[in-house]
Amino acid sequence: MDFAFTDEENRIISEIREFIEKESTPEMLEETHKLERIYGGKLGREFIKKFASNGWLCPSWPEEYGGINSSAMLTYMIKNEMAYSGIPALFVGAHMAGPTIMEFADEKMKEKFLLPIAKGDLEFSLGYSEPGAGSDLLSLEMRAEDKGGHYLVNGQKTFNTHAHVADYHWLAVRTDPDAAKHKGISILIVDFKTPGITIRPMITIVGSRTNEVYYDNVKVSKDCLVGEENKGFNYIMEALDYERMFPFAHYRKVFENIVEYAKEKIVHGEPLSKKPLVRQKLAQLEIELEASELLYYNLAHVLDNGKVPNYQASMEKTFVCELDQKISAVGMEIMGQYGQLSKGSKWAPFDGEMEYYYKWSIVETIYGGTTEVQKNIMAQRGLGLPRV
Amino acid sequence: MNFDLNTEQKMLKDSARNFFSREADKEFIREMENDEKGYSQKMWKKMARLGWMGLLVPEKYNGEEMGFLDMTVLLEEMGYACLPGPFFSTAVLSVITLLESANEKQKKRLLPKIADGSQIITLGWIEESGTYSGKGISAKAELKDDNYIISGTKLFVPDANTADKIIVAARTDNSPEDPDEGISLFVVDLKGDLKGDLKGDTNNKSINIEALKTIRSDKLCEVTFKNTIVPKDNMLGEPGKGWETLNKVLLKAAVAKCAEMSGGAKRVLEMVVEYAKMRHQFGRPIGSFQAIQHHCADMLTFVDTSVYMTNMASWKINEGLPYEKEASMVKSWVSESYKKLVSIGHQVMGGVGFMEEFDLQLYFKQAKACELAYGDSDFHRELVAVEMGL
Repeated sequence: MDFAFTDEENRIISEIREFIEKESTPEMLEETHKLERIYGGKLGREFIKKFASNGWLCPSWPEEYGGINSSAMLTYMIKNEMAYSGIPALFVGAHMAGPTIMEFADEKMKEKFLLPIAKGDLEFSLGYSEPGAGSDLLSLEMRAEDKGGHYLVNGQKTFNTHAHVADYHWLAVRTDPDAAKHKGISILIVDFKTPGITIRPMITIVGSRTNEVYYDNVKVSKDCLVGEENKGFNYIMEALDYERMFPFAHYRKVFENIVEYAKEKIVHGEPLSKKPLVRQKLAQLEIELEASELLYYNLAHVLDNGKVPNYQASMEKTFVCELDQKISAVGMEIMGQYGQLSKGSKWAPFDGEMEYYYKWSIVETIYGGTTEVQKNIMAQRGLGLPRV
Repeated sequence: MNFDLNTEQKMLKDSARNFFSREADKEFIREMENDEKGYSQKMWKKMARLGWMGLLVPEKYNGEEMGFLDMTVLLEEMGYACLPGPFFSTAVLSVITLLESANEKQKKRLLPKIADGSQIITLGWIEESGTYSGKGISAKAELKDDNYIISGTKLFVPDANTADKIIVAARTDNSPEDPDEGISLFVVDLKGDLKGDLKGDTNNKSINIEALKTIRSDKLCEVTFKNTIVPKDNMLGEPGKGWETLNKVLLKAAVAKCAEMSGGAKRVLEMVVEYAKMRHQFGRPIGSFQAIQHHCADMLTFVDTSVYMTNMASWKINEGLPYEKEASMVKSWVSESYKKLVSIGHQVMGGVGFMEEFDLQLYFKQAKACELAYGDSDFHRELVAVEMGL
């Protein structure tokens, strides 16, 4: 056992920290915040292209595809550092589409996409959810008919968060409506500039944007098929295993601000942090952050030993996302009346950050697979309990 | 980072698992609840032959000189087996106290006897306040010629009823500015027939030991000293500095307890999942209901986080790194997790989990006893708050 990072890992992280310190501007951070940390904004792209030129965006990839051949451990450390610093941290290309292309696509597709993804030149939007297919992804209905040289795509997607800032759609479609549900799904890579695609905004509780995407007789070349036809569901499951590795350090940052507030805010002659109940609550969050860190880096440890985490990824996701909500809720409790003050409001601590995260953290236990779905996975894959 | 046990640790784990499944079935565990001594001398000797009593004892005192991590590997298996007995007080609590505070002569005298299994030693520090704090210690030790005269009552002393010796914390300074100062540690002989081993303290009739009835039927005792004469040479460490030692012992023992709890938690999860797969209601296994699956997933999370947290703190101690904050984080987390896990387990098991003949009740009681030992969750959260600079 060894719970320390290596000197080399620490060296690279401090190099990255310095880079971010030096290169990130308040405007870029503001844009990123408004985009809820997804990649694709103008200033974010400029920043990430420089960042990625060091091989830091897809560090675990081989050098020929723009990575630095790093361990999963270092990759995880970098992702957490990105989350902490407030730069773009949610990537579909680098974290989901890319690894799937690397694993399952033909050489031509690899050549076309991998290096540009690792350089930060391209971003994708995840096209999975539909009005009738949320947690039950297998029920997706968007149809891609085989018309010989191309597919004809029709249907509707929802909650495609990157769609308005991305270049390509990572699209799950039904190519065989007669086959068993999991044997008729394929993945297409569709250029958003293709005629027939309409993107409409859906606005969240914090004012950030996700999207509905409509396909109306969209012609998609067969070259855009990822891997084999009707094997898409396998690829999706694989990619979800990549997505279910949730960095948590952006909430550590929020937590640090709450601690600072508790130390400085004087009520009835003493700092809030001297009140036993406040101390208990803050210490509990500190403890759970430590547990999160171990769950998170254990995933990297598993990967570095040549295995794929399964129930552990669901556990990490669930634990971290529930903690995000606890941090937000406890922060609101500690700030009391002041917690409700929004950005720009007089008296708002940390410019309304608490009020913002209290609203935003609702999404944590929903996106990327709800807590309930994750717990099913843990019970069935991890403990062998029977499916109905 | 590396979360895996090394080869030796895996071997230790396997051999402990085999040993306890052979030697300590649940019938035995139940017998021990009703046994006056609370352990089997036959089994104690076998454990000693395996080198377990002296796992933390350096080789020059005839021990195995293994690391703290190795000890937690072994303790996890003891927890898995739900094993009671004086192993923890002797091989963990007392060995750590002696290594932290005893001089060379004392170590030579005491440690080999622990390592070969011939002596049981315990530690008495808590008093009426029931807290682990310097403030709570009011037993007195007064110097008279070459002896200290000790008077006072210690509570919740594990295994004092069977121990050969007890390490006692008593005040050598009654009114220090800081209540953590002025406390000293003494080794006191409890058995007349062993006198001469530590010369002098023959007046052991001045000590009264009474086992208390507890939820787990483990042997926590009240030990009363009434003008007990203890030779000056039996003082451990510097006079007045006993709390410094005890503070380290408290945190290390807390982490060691977490290993025991992690092991117990693993066993409970196994039992409950096995039951959920086998038990049918409404025409299907109850484990196919999502309500039950989510309970089990929560239990799995408690197990994994408890194991990782315990290993992390244990590794810090093992490597000689600062461990204070981690130890408290871990004791707080694991105490609470294990208690919740057993409680969820009861919910899944329904009525049978509540029955004496089913093993879950043994672990339910173990969870509470371990939670209370060496500081509960609230106690350690406050220590974490201090470490955070709050």
